[in-house]
Amino acid sequence: MSRPVGLAQTAPAHEHIAAVNLPPTIAIRDLTMRFGAGTADAVLAVDNVSLSLAPGEFVSLVGPSGCGKTTILNLLTGLLKEEADGDVRVLGRPPREGNPDIAYMLARDSLLPWRTALDNAAFGMEVRGLPRRERESRARDLLQQVGLGDFADKFPKALSHGMRQRCALARTFALDSPVLLMDEPFGALDAQTKLTLEDLLMQLWSAHRKTVVFVTHDLAEAIALSDRVIVMSARPGRIVADVAIDLPRPRDVRKLQTDHRFHDLYAKLWRLLEQGAAAHE
Amino acid sequence: MSKPFRITRARVPGHVVFIVALVALWEFLGARGVIDPTFAGRPSGIASYLWRGFITDRNLWNDLSYTLAAAAIAFVGGSLTAILAGLLFTMLPGLHRACEPYLSLLNAMPRIALVPLFLLWFGLGIGSKIAVAVSLTFFIVLAATVAGIRGVNSDHLVLSRALGATPGQIFFKVTLPSAVPVIFSGLRLGLVYALLGVVGAELIAAEHGLGQVLAYLQSTFDMDGVMALLLLLALLGLSITVAMNWIEKKLLVWQ
Ligand SMILES: Nc1ncnc2c1ncn2[C@@H]1O[C@H](COP(=O)(O)OP(=O)(O)OP(=O)(O)O)[C@@H](O)[C@H]1O
Ligand SMILES: [Mg+2]
Repeated sequence: MSRPVGLAQTAPAHEHIAAVNLPPTIAIRDLTMRFGAGTADAVLAVDNVSLSLAPGEFVSLVGPSGCGKTTILNLLTGLLKEEADGDVRVLGRPPREGNPDIAYMLARDSLLPWRTALDNAAFGMEVRGLPRRERESRARDLLQQVGLGDFADKFPKALSHGMRQRCALARTFALDSPVLLMDEPFGALDAQTKLTLEDLLMQLWSAHRKTVVFVTHDLAEAIALSDRVIVMSARPGRIVADVAIDLPRPRDVRKLQTDHRFHDLYAKLWRLLEQGAAAHE
Repeated sequence: MSKPFRITRARVPGHVVFIVALVALWEFLGARGVIDPTFAGRPSGIASYLWRGFITDRNLWNDLSYTLAAAAIAFVGGSLTAILAGLLFTMLPGLHRACEPYLSLLNAMPRIALVPLFLLWFGLGIGSKIAVAVSLTFFIVLAATVAGIRGVNSDHLVLSRALGATPGQIFFKVTLPSAVPVIFSGLRLGLVYALLGVVGAELIAAEHGLGQVLAYLQSTFDMDGVMALLLLLALLGLSITVAMNWIEKKLLVWQ
């Protein structure tokens, strides 16, 4: 089931996706990213990566630390000032900073401590110029969906880790951007909270239909959430394998923890990850 | 910086008993000649000095208002220019680098030593007092402003840029609010130092003000008056701190 590098255009068979024939939402071709090119300590961060995501697809990137996962997300958002080789397209257009088609979620919740949960959930919409009434009602609605309905007027200091990350989820989904880039959003949470939030993310994703690139170090998380898991090698980051996750949806993240197919996939991905990590040491 | 001044309500009776006992002991020992009132004053004398100064003769009101006015003007002027300079420096890092050595040099100078110069330039009146206080407040608030703006969380900046925030939006919605607590603690310290600068300059030479009164009383060996003035200055400093704490609590509920 692992496909050769760069041939990732087919979407997996799962009932949500009727989009196999649509142009890809994200298309990366022959991407090579070198930091500090021309200097003595140039770093080849990403080496010839090709990848594409069909509309509505949920794809995870896993790989050793420093293999360029965050760099790929930053390239998609247009946040990197340095030039990369290759072709990157989001909804057919080259990346640009502040692209309204993209919602970015970081590992740390990045809630603004001087704003209430409601105003934090509305922050993205505020920056993007939505009128106050609309953004407040959307933010309230999303807070309700993530289970923070009663905490709308609380400041972040009064929220637990998990609640803060829920609030960040609300902020991300309130943007209603078709593309979601998530960089280890649950990395700092304890195992139980993590499962709860993964479930929540699945619910939101099913309800809102986004194309998601999800970076994680947690294979179980990648398998539970994704349509495909892309395994990258140690730096310079190359794609080692592209594994379709053919578990039926909707998935119950907690039940999956004891599913034997889940464990088979886990073992397989683990081996691939180890090989990729060893390949460049 | 300084810890909030607070006395829990349960402790109030204890403090009252302690202070009353201390004052009574001081009065008693002063009357018996164990503590020489010409060097330490006496509580009854201090109280009567304050009574005359504020209630019957009312001469202290005038000096108090001179001191407070000078401190207030210096605080407002000094911190406003400091905040503006801080903002300018963060917008133009090159300018900041160019100015930094000179600012450090000025800041290293013992400001009270500037009083003779300022007296020459701005006269015996309130101008020289304001100048000394500004020279203290400005640097404190400037350092706090620069530190506050530099301390902005880089995650917040990345998030805002990814959302497409304009530089103006980033500044007003992210950078400035995140700098407010640090700037505020600079303001708190700046206000205390403004008072210190004014009183210090008045001690050296002035026509009015609590510092001038203090210097005069000291030269005439009126220890009751000196002690009364010191008490007054301490209470003034304390009320500044309490007021700033109160404002901070109202302003920064999210902390
Ligand atoms: N702005 C930059 N300037 C120079 N080098 C950079 C920059 N950003 C990343 N790098 C380098 O590129 C490589 C990939 O970094 P990246 O952050 O993409 O890794 P990652 O896969 O996200 O790692 P992790 O899992 O630890 O988050 C690293 O070696 C890093 O040092
Ligand atoms: Mg990373």
